[in-house]
Amino acid sequence: MSELSLHLAASLPDNGGIRPEWLKDLREAGAAQFRAHGLPTRKDEAWKYTGLGALGQAEVQLATGLELPLSGKLSPSPLAESVLQINLLDGQILSLTGDSPAGVTVLPLADALNHGIKGLQELLESLPDKNHKSPSANGFSALNSATLDSGVVIHAAAGTDAGRLTFTWSTSPGEKPMLFNSRICVLLEAGAKLELLEQFESPDDNTNTSNIVLQAELGEAAVLQHIRFQQETEGAVLITRTEVSQQANSEYAYFGFDLGGGLVRHDLHTSLLGDGAKSGLNGAYLLDGNRHVDNHARVDHFAPGGVSMQYFRGVAGGSGKAVFNTAVCVHPGADGTEARQSNANILLSARAEIDTKPELEIYADEVIASHGATVGQLDELAVFYMRSRGLSEQDARQLLTTAFCKSVSDKLADPLLGEVISQRMMDVMPQAE
Amino acid sequence: MLKITNLHASVAGNEILKGLNLELKAGEVHAIMGPNGAGKSTLGNVLAGREGYEVTQGEIIFNGKNLLELEPEERACEGVFLAFQYPVEIPGVNNTYFLRAALNAQRKYRGEEILDSVAFLRLVREKLKVLHIGDELLHRAVNEGFSGGEKKRNEIFQMAVLEPALAILDETDSGLDIDALKTVAEGVNRLRSKDRGMIVVTHYQRLLDYIVPDKVHVLADGKLVATGGAELALKLEEQGYAWLEDGGITPLDSQPAVPTARP
Repeated sequence: MSELSLHLAASLPDNGGIRPEWLKDLREAGAAQFRAHGLPTRKDEAWKYTGLGALGQAEVQLATGLELPLSGKLSPSPLAESVLQINLLDGQILSLTGDSPAGVTVLPLADALNHGIKGLQELLESLPDKNHKSPSANGFSALNSATLDSGVVIHAAAGTDAGRLTFTWSTSPGEKPMLFNSRICVLLEAGAKLELLEQFESPDDNTNTSNIVLQAELGEAAVLQHIRFQQETEGAVLITRTEVSQQANSEYAYFGFDLGGGLVRHDLHTSLLGDGAKSGLNGAYLLDGNRHVDNHARVDHFAPGGVSMQYFRGVAGGSGKAVFNTAVCVHPGADGTEARQSNANILLSARAEIDTKPELEIYADEVIASHGATVGQLDELAVFYMRSRGLSEQDARQLLTTAFCKSVSDKLADPLLGEVISQRMMDVMPQAE
Repeated sequence: MLKITNLHASVAGNEILKGLNLELKAGEVHAIMGPNGAGKSTLGNVLAGREGYEVTQGEIIFNGKNLLELEPEERACEGVFLAFQYPVEIPGVNNTYFLRAALNAQRKYRGEEILDSVAFLRLVREKLKVLHIGDELLHRAVNEGFSGGEKKRNEIFQMAVLEPALAILDETDSGLDIDALKTVAEGVNRLRSKDRGMIVVTHYQRLLDYIVPDKVHVLADGKLVATGGAELALKLEEQGYAWLEDGGITPLDSQPAVPTARP
């Protein structure tokens, strides 16, 4: 185990006073796994291209039970209006504004634990996956469970439309870089609908690490639209994991936009457990400088008639490095599945690097599947075409790269939000060298 | 307006244009015809400044400026417009947005006021009306998924909005059925003006039934080998390009009125 892992393991909190009992057990199990295996290393296949040297060098400290000063802290201005906005700072709830619609419960995790929300215990206990073939690859989830105390729980009763909820995440610079853990649980009962907009943006540069796990359970025909927009600061480390399970005819639509962050890793996993469930995973990542963004997406089809569509676009300039791994597994019995994966990338500099790897495993019948992954340069003929109409070469290139990424934001159901995000992408678009 | 003198140009080391001379005055429409491989498209690309088209000799003077010294966008801002033979699809870039950005880039270059989206849309509606084009093309990405006819109409529409001093139409008729051809030709005719010069490059005479040129040039093996009035196109249609090799009709030097003046 690395020095960093040993140091974090040694700072794990004591669970003596933790109640209820199952939570104590859960934290103990997480701690035991973390003490045994630590954080992921490059020896884990899933972390082959992403090292954690940045955390070790910064001597990041594990944050436990922080008392937050509630005033004078800024949160990013939200990208869009929503019925309820929750601002989180250093992994803790800073403020909550707006009202929950009828049938929708939004609670801080600590309160929810005593509130007896149906299905919450089972959901929390499903992580970290004890049967994972490579426990260290799961190290951040183990650490998250070992310190489980802060976060938010959202529950929507059958048939309710919760509208849009916005989470803003930020961290504040301190004497030493800290590692903050937080957990979001989303429970949508049959036919419930929710749009979840997560925005990661710290006002001041820092070298903190955020380790955030989001778990969502979609009942029959429930619909979750999940938009994740991150424009973290240059030094920030953002480790996130999204775990979704889907019952019959439910729909999960994910849109991820990576515009910032020094070291970013997102594990996105959805399991289609019921017949006819649909999953659409879309994302764009833009990198320059020395930034490193790693997206790992995985879809497991367990039931017949499911549909999964993946659409990711990446642009890397400077010495940026992007990792994109997409896996689809169509398990025995998931007949009639349709699974499509598309990942295209543009390299704008000779020093930038993109590692893309699509994986597809099929153990069922009558499956329609396609996958494509490309890394290339801008279409020079299109650049010339635009210049021949009067645009400068720089503008032409910027418009083309933005358009490439905009094909993701254009898929958003809300065109206004799509426009805001595409403008933000244009503002940070890496330049060609 | 435009004077091309002894133009030699190569693509990937192969000389395509081998001493082309051409003079075009404002208000004139010249057709350039010729067999495949004669260098017709190369001329358009050289005028627009496409990379990979290397001028090895000669000069192009456009409104007193040395065109070959200008970047493609500077040429556009000076008023050169190439209607592409194969207009490029640009997924994700809205046609209206693109055209406004292009027009404003040109206006900025010329020290004119930038048009806001309201003023721009007003202009666009006006042009669409004149060209008898619907507005369905406006909302789509530039040329993406357009039919051949739609692509060519979009080129003419761009030309109408950008109002170039010199328009080069590179085989605008290729791939068009007769109805689409008529629509496009009609659009071009509406854009004819005493201040604008046009070069219509085509393989077939058909287009010239609808866009009647002031002069017709025949380009073969990198040079203009014959020049005449609109009737020359009809003769070509009748006799094909084979006569070029046979020396079948009056060669260039026996027509003293030709505009391929020497410096």
